[in-house]
Amino acid sequence: MEIETQLLHNIDQILLAFMIFVIMFGMGASLTVNDFKAVARRPRGVLIGFLSQFGVMPLIAFGLAVVLNLSPAFAIALILIGCLPGGTTSNMFAYFARGSVALSISMTTASTLMALIMMPLLLELYTSGFTQQISDAMQADGTGTEFIIPTANIIMSLILVLVPVGGGMVLRRFSPGWAKTAEDTAGFVAIIVILYLLGTAFARHSDLFLRTPPEIYLAAILVGVLGFLFGYWVSRLFAVQPLFQRAISLETGIQNGPVSFAIILLSFSEPIQGQMLWLAILYSTFIVMTSSFVTLYLRKKGKFDWEVHRNTVVHNRLFGMSYVTEYPEGFLPPRIAHDPSQGSSPSQKRDV
Amino acid sequence: MKSRIIASNLADLYRQAADKYESLPAFATRVKTLEWKPVTFSEIYTQGLDLAAGLIEIGVDAREHVGLFSDNRYEWMLAEYGIQLSGAVNTPRGADVTDSEMVYIINHAKIRVAFVENSALQEKILRLRPELPELREIILMDPDIEAVKGVRALNEVRAIGTWQRKQGERKVEERMNAIRPDDLFTLIYTSGTTGRPKGVMLTHSNMMSQMGVIPIDLSCTDRVLSILPIWHIFERVFEVYTISCGTCTYYTSIRTLGEDLKNVEPTFMGSAPRLWESLHQRILEGVRAAHPVRRALFHIAYFLGHYYKESGFYLTNNDLQMNPRSIWVRSLFYTGHAVRLILLLPWYGFFNAAVLESVRQNAGGSIKATVSGGGALPLEIDQFFNYIGIPVLEGYGLTETSPVIAVRTDQQLVAGTVGPLVPDTDVRIVELETEKVLYPNNDYPHGGRGLRGEIWVRGPQVMKGYYREPEITKSVMREGGWFCTGDLGMITFNDCLKILGRSKSTIVLSNGENLEPEPIEMQLRQSRYIDQCMVVGQDQKFLGALIVPKLDVFRNDSVSAESLEELSRHPEAYRIIRHEIKNILSRSNGLRRFEHIKEIKLLPYSFKVGDEMTNLFKLKRHVIEKKYEETIREMFSSKQVSVE
Repeated sequence: MEIETQLLHNIDQILLAFMIFVIMFGMGASLTVNDFKAVARRPRGVLIGFLSQFGVMPLIAFGLAVVLNLSPAFAIALILIGCLPGGTTSNMFAYFARGSVALSISMTTASTLMALIMMPLLLELYTSGFTQQISDAMQADGTGTEFIIPTANIIMSLILVLVPVGGGMVLRRFSPGWAKTAEDTAGFVAIIVILYLLGTAFARHSDLFLRTPPEIYLAAILVGVLGFLFGYWVSRLFAVQPLFQRAISLETGIQNGPVSFAIILLSFSEPIQGQMLWLAILYSTFIVMTSSFVTLYLRKKGKFDWEVHRNTVVHNRLFGMSYVTEYPEGFLPPRIAHDPSQGSSPSQKRDV
Repeated sequence: MKSRIIASNLADLYRQAADKYESLPAFATRVKTLEWKPVTFSEIYTQGLDLAAGLIEIGVDAREHVGLFSDNRYEWMLAEYGIQLSGAVNTPRGADVTDSEMVYIINHAKIRVAFVENSALQEKILRLRPELPELREIILMDPDIEAVKGVRALNEVRAIGTWQRKQGERKVEERMNAIRPDDLFTLIYTSGTTGRPKGVMLTHSNMMSQMGVIPIDLSCTDRVLSILPIWHIFERVFEVYTISCGTCTYYTSIRTLGEDLKNVEPTFMGSAPRLWESLHQRILEGVRAAHPVRRALFHIAYFLGHYYKESGFYLTNNDLQMNPRSIWVRSLFYTGHAVRLILLLPWYGFFNAAVLESVRQNAGGSIKATVSGGGALPLEIDQFFNYIGIPVLEGYGLTETSPVIAVRTDQQLVAGTVGPLVPDTDVRIVELETEKVLYPNNDYPHGGRGLRGEIWVRGPQVMKGYYREPEITKSVMREGGWFCTGDLGMITFNDCLKILGRSKSTIVLSNGENLEPEPIEMQLRQSRYIDQCMVVGQDQKFLGALIVPKLDVFRNDSVSAESLEELSRHPEAYRIIRHEIKNILSRSNGLRRFEHIKEIKLLPYSFKVGDEMTNLFKLKRHVIEKKYEETIREMFSSKQVSVE
């Protein structure tokens, strides 16, 4: 499928850029320097998260692109989405899914920084086959000689979106009240952006939804869903505590959509820009819905161990860190009874 | 995990809890903000056994009434354990007990052994001792102060018991085995709003019947924050319930509530309506002080929450149904609400997560549900909490019904009512003058639903009677075990009980119109300027209100006054409050013309618990009327002069 005219006009692009700025600023406003330091305090969780985000997720995207036999532009967009750092909305979802918000924040921070190195490397690794296809096509119809991933541009765009994040952190440092406002506004703007993009797409190319082949929809939905699933399994494999499992699962599936918009707009050009953007829009739309369902499911699943965990936290807060809560025989199922986060022995207790 | 202990009496329940929950914390008391002292189920039981042995040794008989004059503290619970385990009857009263009440209760209940909380009460009871001929032993609870001569320290009595039990003495076990289900476990003197205190006799089976009606599942991982007076029946039911569930109770106070909500993260709370009123005010103040953007976000979120939940309540048949509706009208509305719910869902989802959750953090963030009782919860506040996602389960009951008669459940959460009747309980709605049964009565349409009258109740929770007051007992009991509550109510069309006021506080105006002052007072108290108020007007042409203004709010609004006394003479304050009352009452629809407040007086002092209010902040109308007799007369005479 081809998108003949530009998906977004110039004025839309400026608006979109502004919204990305607001969202990234809001992300920064939710962070403090301590969040970065905290990464060092829970290296194991962050490391497993890293593996899941940059190891498994791009592989899922690549696998889907191959299995679904996507056209090169969509394949590159899907892999790009797979390599993105985690988004801030994952923190909110982790909260409601009764996951570790602290870990979610740490993973978002760490992955946003790591993306500067990892994204170019991963894109190089996974997209080479697809760029070759584009180059061949270009040579065949004589429109160009070679298509390469604009690595330098991507790094530049990443640095560019980090500027408002830094700005948000400065605001947080000096005015926590306004920072909270910026954070909430950003969440609201994120929804508006998606609706706005869908709206413009619908207004300009009303048949776009119909012309989009089913495998594109499937790819946009599955990349997130498989991310949740594999994120959960990977963390289960490493036997981290249930709280961390839920956070890692959500963090893996939820990518930073606005960053992909920024990269696509700044680093790619037609003819593939429109198609890439369209996939990014679809992903951002579906991920809100799928992560809502996953969150509800995890919330229900994690009810019991969350309550045990909170009780341990409150007991330690009020009765001292060395206090050990001893439940009656058989009250805790074995799965939790031997879980370090539930505090079966004082030395194992950690603030999560 | 449903694993509640079922027992036949309190002593048995305490023993089983110690066996089952052992070293889990049962109670926690605050030392500092982040330093609390836990006591385990087995610790308090062991200490209770020792205390019981000590009590038996100093002469407490089985089924004897033991006085307990104290406010919330760990030793209260320990004394309760000691009294129950020795087979005696707990006769409690708060530390704010007046001289005359103390004398009356001790003599009327024939108390020979009494616990007192602190040095003030120790001093009081010693001073009154000449008037207490039968009192033999006084036990001081506070371990940090010296007991004077003639008074025993609680720990001393306990030490006697410890020694006894070391010798192999097992009288306590004998006493525990001899407890029968219809023995009293407590004798509670209610000051009520009228008359002299009456001793309500409640049995072990009364209390045990209540265990099955509390609409919340608790377990070892829950935390209950306790703020109500511990000796009040409403709080005691929760205490016993939490013990049976292995849940830890954390004692807090009004002063430290905000902090403790954050640190304890309670999952459940029982409280009086006043707490919700002040929490509501605090949340609104917070919103008012927030950035404009956040304020706007809150208003959007509340708007969405309101209409989303309202539709949800309608669809689950949980709307307030005071009038009958045909099936056609209902199905029409049903469709409308279903459409609205679906349209609002995604927006509500987002705002619920982003905004309302942080508002809910004000209540600790982990609250699953709360029960409000001990007075009527204003509808607006009720709706506010339900709309922002903190389910408030309002209940209804009296000390005489130990106490729960009806309570909302998660399935039947109908704001504006006190929910469905609890199991095994029957209710009648009875015409006041003729005692004719209006509900259930098939001669009326809808079986009598929607008709107003006095509430009568029959069930396992109804008291044995008033102690040594057969005449008064007879006046409230009717043939067939019916107890007359003296409250007005009706059964809604979805079978919930709605309370309409207290029949005895009814004001009759000189034109013969009857009205209930409570709903009007509730509305007035919503004002940020009004702290407390009482509506008066018996035998007058119109209604007036005595108002205690909020000094700090007036100060913030730059009305300079050093004290309430000064403020009560401030013409500007009068102007503001008159304006405010007019606004509030004109906003509320359904108010009849004569129910509007025509005249007000600002009071120089606030109402105090123990004097003008009961421990649950109910107004003692006759006390206030007497105290401000002159003011009330002035209020009504001035207007009449100016009219003529």
